[in-house]
This record gives sequence, structure tokens and C-alpha cells, in this order.
Amino acid sequence: MLIAISLLAFVININAPGDPVEKLSNSADKEGAANEQSNATKKVKQELRKKLGLDLPVFYFSFGSKSDCDTLYRVEDKAHAATLSELSHQYGNWDNVSNYFHQLAEVQLAHSSLNMDEIHINLKDENGKPLYSKNEINDVITQSSFDISAMMETASPAVLNAKWESLNKLYTTYPFFGEIKPVFTNAKEKYQFMLENEERWKTYIPTIIWYGLGNQYHFWLFGNGKDRHGVIRGDFGFSYIDSQPISEKIWSRVWISFTFTIISVLLAYLISIPLGIYSAYRKDSTFDRISSIIVFILYSMPSFFIGVLLLYTFANPDMLRWFPVSGIQDATLFDPEWSNWDKLKHRAPFFILPLVTYVYSSFAFLSRIMRVGVIDVFGQDYIRTARAKGLGEGTVVMKHALRNSLLPIITVFANIFPLAVGGSIIIETIFTIPGLGFEIYNSILNSDYPMIIAVFTIIGFLTMIGYLISDILYAVVDPRISYK
Amino acid sequence: MEQNNFSFKKYAWNQFKKNKPALYSLYILITLILIAVFAPFIANDQPLYAKYKGESVYPAFATLTDPTVRKSFTDLETGKTEELQYDITDWRQLDLESVVWAPIPYSPDKGDRYNREYVSPFGEQRIKNFNNEIVEAPRRLRHFMGTDNIGRDLASGLIHGTRISLLVGVIAMGIASIIGVFLGAIAGFFGDRNLRMPRIKYYLTILGVFLGLFYGFGVRKYTISNAFENGSSGSWELLLSLLLITVIIVGLRFISRFLMIGKLKDEISVPIDTFVSRGIELLNSIPRLILIITISAIFTRSIWLIMTIIGLTSWTGIARFTRAEFLRLRELEFVQAAKSLGYSNFRAIVKHALPNALAPVFVSIAFGIASAILIESSLSFLGIGVPDDMVTWGSLLNLGRQEFEAWWLVMFPGFAIFITITIYNLIGEGLRDALDPRLKS
Repeated sequence: MLIAISLLAFVININAPGDPVEKLSNSADKEGAANEQSNATKKVKQELRKKLGLDLPVFYFSFGSKSDCDTLYRVEDKAHAATLSELSHQYGNWDNVSNYFHQLAEVQLAHSSLNMDEIHINLKDENGKPLYSKNEINDVITQSSFDISAMMETASPAVLNAKWESLNKLYTTYPFFGEIKPVFTNAKEKYQFMLENEERWKTYIPTIIWYGLGNQYHFWLFGNGKDRHGVIRGDFGFSYIDSQPISEKIWSRVWISFTFTIISVLLAYLISIPLGIYSAYRKDSTFDRISSIIVFILYSMPSFFIGVLLLYTFANPDMLRWFPVSGIQDATLFDPEWSNWDKLKHRAPFFILPLVTYVYSSFAFLSRIMRVGVIDVFGQDYIRTARAKGLGEGTVVMKHALRNSLLPIITVFANIFPLAVGGSIIIETIFTIPGLGFEIYNSILNSDYPMIIAVFTIIGFLTMIGYLISDILYAVVDPRISYK
Repeated sequence: MEQNNFSFKKYAWNQFKKNKPALYSLYILITLILIAVFAPFIANDQPLYAKYKGESVYPAFATLTDPTVRKSFTDLETGKTEELQYDITDWRQLDLESVVWAPIPYSPDKGDRYNREYVSPFGEQRIKNFNNEIVEAPRRLRHFMGTDNIGRDLASGLIHGTRISLLVGVIAMGIASIIGVFLGAIAGFFGDRNLRMPRIKYYLTILGVFLGLFYGFGVRKYTISNAFENGSSGSWELLLSLLLITVIIVGLRFISRFLMIGKLKDEISVPIDTFVSRGIELLNSIPRLILIITISAIFTRSIWLIMTIIGLTSWTGIARFTRAEFLRLRELEFVQAAKSLGYSNFRAIVKHALPNALAPVFVSIAFGIASAILIESSLSFLGIGVPDDMVTWGSLLNLGRQEFEAWWLVMFPGFAIFITITIYNLIGEGLRDALDPRLKS
């Protein structure tokens, strides 16, 4: 199960839009403009890639065709990698594709050797006037460089052909491209060679490539043994927003959500078990009817509606101002030096409305199940036997009926738990409680994908704990079940 | 010969009718469906019928097929021609000779600029009259459920939101029940031991799935994605790929007939029940709301995506019930008889077992629709799933959360969601009691 959750989280992680390196380096220094990638920023990016483990293959193995390149993951730019993959898919021969692409990259590189001022001064017509204005030179060079970049990001033959044509024209018109032109012609030859020697049949042959342990998933899960520890040791990478390690941001929030969930589930059980027993015991009485109707209505009431209604009624200056609107503490009053009791006293009013909403969402479901369960047990022979023996009603209910009717309600513990955790997103958002649910909501608004994945994984893990607890409770309540 | 005229359908319907809450819920549901179907005629800022400059037009109907429909009107006296694009025309400002408005003369997505900033249903509402004066709105043109911050009519939003809510329920559960019934049926019918096939056929089928995926999606991935980018033929290419996959699998299974030699011929059983049961457990152990939120955060927002994800993650309940029914049914005489008569497994499943297994499926579909609607409205309440400009019940309620004064933005959508979920739950209970007396509590 854990493997499946981690795999799922990882797959979502890989498919998240945008390039993590770009996002992280952008958040690190906002001034780095897209067109001016100096060597320094490039180096920073390379280090980031290494830190994030993006220079590794994705998984232990890959399933592809013979035309695919097995070292494509080493290409730094996501867009370039996509182009390469599509090109190799179109023409089948990886070597040719790679040659062509390298040559294209060299054309791009050659642009940096062009010096605008030199061209401006050196190229003169017969009257000694500069042939081209600085602006014109600049425009032309930018145009050419831009076109080459565009070519490196497309595999469409129509677009590529148009670019070949226009660039060729450009280079013939402006003589100062002299140094670039041979490189460019070379690239074009390589392109023609790739077209002529296409081996499409290779794309139809499936292959499996084995990468071993040095892959992104392994890295993500177990870390590299040095600075990164992997998800399994609580290292979830870095937030896109402030580049801080996610685990530090999260751990302080886990306990809030976890406390709320645990307290509310316990409270829900504490209320629904007596209620279920009583209404089942007095089946078809007025109490039973009324409580059943109320429970049914509550059952169909969305928790966000309840939450907003509670806020409207009890935290509204126009109605009743009993409780604060949001948060878990008042920042102006709260003092971290307080004793635990003072802290609790201060926080209690903040806790009440969210707790009511939390409890209600599992309570309605539970008491319905409890009532049905107890009614079922009351029909059993051993209850009749107990009564026939002359046992008091109290003993019959508490000793004979209760324990047996607990089984179904424990079964649903495993279901209640994810329900409560999932519901926490809505409730925490309504009441602005800084727990996991509110965190995932915020990170979705800010497209902070590593954070989303981290919260998803942790909640999945908490759900697992819920299953474990319900399994243990099973054995406690029903001696017939044992896990030996 | 006198036939016994007992029909299970009739019996179930009679039982269902006895359950008054469920029956009334069904009536309310039918009303909701009618509202959803006829929403553009119930709430629309364009008249159903209008006579302008001597010409009769039906704008509300015309914009249904083409939202940007245009029409020229010639003034008979002055001879001037005026071209109107229906959807951006303010019909209220035109000098119409006669007009029939929709019962709620506002569209859900267009703000009324004279009633911005949360106008209460009982408060003062304004309108511009023909003399360009802002006056108190007549009763006919009031927003009887109030407006939101940019003056959108709440009643109209609720009526159009009905479409989305019901559609989410139907489509999500449609997907879920196809997957759930299929997997539950084969898991329950065959169990771990009864799906037997020659070893070679088994291996070649697995190979076929891999090769099918490879040739269908691996090789054609750029063809498909390019086709989607260029617009028209994307779905067609996708269909072609699916066809290719089917052909490859069927083809390999056919080839396996000629390879029945020696050990390859031995029959082995496919543990299909284990696969399905583990799959159900796996999906159940992942918090569904979180999964849906995570996935919808990563893809572009669209209501169709939400429906699909809800459908793909909520088939487990249906599969469990179907599986349990099939486990019971496969031992019964009539299924055994069908088998012993030499009918194919397919026929035994579809014609003999399935009709008898549908009762619990219907029940869990009804409950499933309720929870699908709940999930969708939670998502739009959080503002995560659906696009920002789409008006749904949940997004309306979210607007109310931000503005404490606007109680109408909380109460009306909240109750709409509540009532819809309640009636589905009641119908579910009614169905359970009517279709399966054993489950009656």
C-alpha cells in the first residue's frame, strides 16, 4: 500500500507542469531574466538539478522503442528533451538526431562570438560610413538567435523548413554572419542527412532499458545518503515559494491536523455510541424517530455548509459574537511563554467551532451505523437467552449487546479516518486553521507542487495508521480474531 | 395457459411507492431534472419572444445553437438598419413592441451593473428606465434571491447550477458504474480459480496488453497529441489507438490457438478476484478528496476533468457490491444451468447473472451520486476544481463565505446542495428497501 501511494505521489510529481529548476531558481533570484542566462546562473541551475536529482533517469527501468535514446534524461532543458524525443521518434535514428541537435546548439553558441560594436565599426561602405546601424545589427542577431532557439523546441518539419529558409536568407543578406554560416550550413546538412536516413522501423521495436538504483524515484524515496534524505526519512524537497525545505514547514502543522482529527473522531464515537444504543433500545419511540430524522438531515448536510452556518451564527458581529472567526490563536495576545494551561485556555474558544464541524461530519454517519448494529444485535438469540436468565436490562445492554454491536462501528473506523482527514481541507480552510488541509489549499493556489505531493503522501500515511488502529481494535473487541 | 402475473419490477415499484419520503424525493428529483433541462428558458436575460421593429424573434432559443447569432432590423419609418448581436444586446433597453420574458429575466454569468455589491432579496433594487433614470426596480425585474459582488443574479445562478450538479452526478457515476460493474462481475463470477485458459493464451494476452499499449499509445503518442493540438481529429486518433490495442490483443489470442503444444496447452487459472480485490483496497486506502484535489490541481481546470476523476475513483463501492452478488449468484441453479447448457461465460454473465445482481448496484449508484455531488460542490466551494467563471452551487456558497452580510449567498445554494444530496440519499434508501428486502433494517 505504501509503495502504491509513494508511486502515485511520484507520478503526479513528475507530471506537474513547469520545470522545477526554473521555478526554484526564479524564486531564488528574481532578477535573472530569461534571455540573459549567464554562465553563473547556468551553473547554479546545474547544481540545483543535481540537488533535486533531476540529472537521473526517472525510474528503475523504462519501456520504450529502439529509436529512443537511453540517456535523454541528461538533457538539461525540458523543452529540448521533448524535442529530441519527438525527433528521434520521427526519424528513428538517434545518432543522426543527436548530431543534428548538437550542431544546432553550436550555431546558437556561435552567436556569442559576434560583437556588435566590431561589426558596426569594421563593416563600411566605400564612403567609409558604417554599413549597418547598431540597432539593425542588434535586431538581426536577436532575430537569428531567437529563431535557432525556436528550432530547438520544435520537431514539426513545416516549421523547421520555414526557419531554414528564412535564416538562410538572413545569413546571405548580412555578411557579418560569416562565422556562423558554415556552422549553420553544416547543421542543415546534418538535418538533411537525418531526413534521408530515417529508420522509422526502429520505433516499432519495443525495448526495455534497465537503469538500476540511480534513478529519480529511488532518489526521491531514499535520498542520496548525503545531504538529501528522501521521503522515507521525511525529506520532501523544497517549496517553490520560498525555497525552504518542506519538511520543516510541514511538521509544525501535522500535529494541529492530527489533534483535531483524533479528538473529533473520539468525540464522535463518544456521542454516537450511547445515542445509537439508546435509540435502538427504545426503537420506534418518539425519541428514536426524532433523533433518526435529525441524524438523517445532518448526514446529508455538507460540512462546509455547516461550518459557514456556524460562523454566521456564532462568530458574526450582527448575530452572536461568541467565538473568534479564524485561526487558532490571537497573535496580538498570544504569548509563547505561557504555561500549557494558559495556552489551552486562550485557544479553547478558537477550537470550539471547528471541532463541532469536525465532529458532526463523522457523528451522523456513525450513529446511523451504531443504531442499525444494535437493533441487529437485539434480535439475536443470546440476548433473548440473557433476558430469559433473568439478567437486568442494564447488564443485557452493557455486557451482551454493546460489545457485539461495536464490531460494525469499528469496521468503519478505517473509513472515518480518511473521511475526517479529507474533510479537514474544507474545515481548516473555512476556519483558517494552519493545519495540513489549509496548507494543501494554499499550495494549490500558489502551484507549489512539491508541497502538494508532500501533504498527499503524509495524509496517505495517516490513513494507513487509521487502518492499523482499526485492525488492532478489532482484535481487542472480538477475541475470535487474532493476528498471530 | 394461465401465467403467473408476478413481476419483480412491479413488486419493487409498489414497495418503493409505499416509502413516502423516497417517492416525494423522486418527484423533487424529476422537478430538478426538468429545471436543469429547461434552465435557459427559466432564467435568461434574453426574452423568449420579442417583437422589435415589426419582426418577431426568439432570442433565447436562437442563442442556444449559436451564442453569437446576429440579426439586422430595419426601421420601417426611418429606413435605418440596426444589427444586433443577441447575447450582448441589452434587450431591456430596446423599444420592444411586445415581449415575453423568461420567469427569471437574468443570465447567471452576466452582472447587473445597477445592483452590484451584494444586493439583498428584500433590499432596494435599482434599474435604469427608458428615460435613463435609475429607479426602484419593478417587482417583475427584482432579483428575488439577491445578487453577488458583481451583480450576478443568484436565482439564475442556482437554476443553471442545477445542470452542473446533476450532470456531475450522472457522468461520474456513469463512469464509476461501468468500471465497477465490469470488474465486480468478472471478479465475483470467476473468482480466483474459474477463469481458466491455456498457459500460452494467458501469456500472449499479457504480452498483447503490453504490445497494444506500446503500439497504440507509445508509438502514436505524437500523432495523437499533435492531432489534439490541431483541433479536430484528436478524438478520432485516440479511438483509432484503442481499436489498434483491441486488434493486437485479440490477434495474439487468436495466434495462441496455433501454439497449443505440450506444456503450453496446460490450463492455468487467472487470479482475477485477487487482482480486483487488492485494487479496491488500494483505492479505498487513499483519501479520495485529497487525491481528487491533488490531481485537479495539476491539470487545467475543467468540470469534465472533475467528473472523470470522481468517476475513476469511486467505482470501488459498486465493484464490491457487484462482486458479492456474483459470488452468490454463480452458485445458483439458473446460472449453473446456463453454464451446463454450454452457454459462453459472457452470455451467462450478461444475460443470466447480471440482471439479478443489479439491485444493490442501483442502490450504491444512488448513494454514489449524492457523494459525487458533495465532492464537486466541496471542490467548487474551495475554488479548486472548476474554472473561475463557471457558476456552480459550491462557488456561489464560497462567495457568501467571503461576505458576512450576504446571508442569501449562503442559505440558498447551501440548501440547494443539501436538498439534492438528501433526495438522492432518500431515493437510495427507498431503492434498497424496495429492491432488496434482505437489507431492510
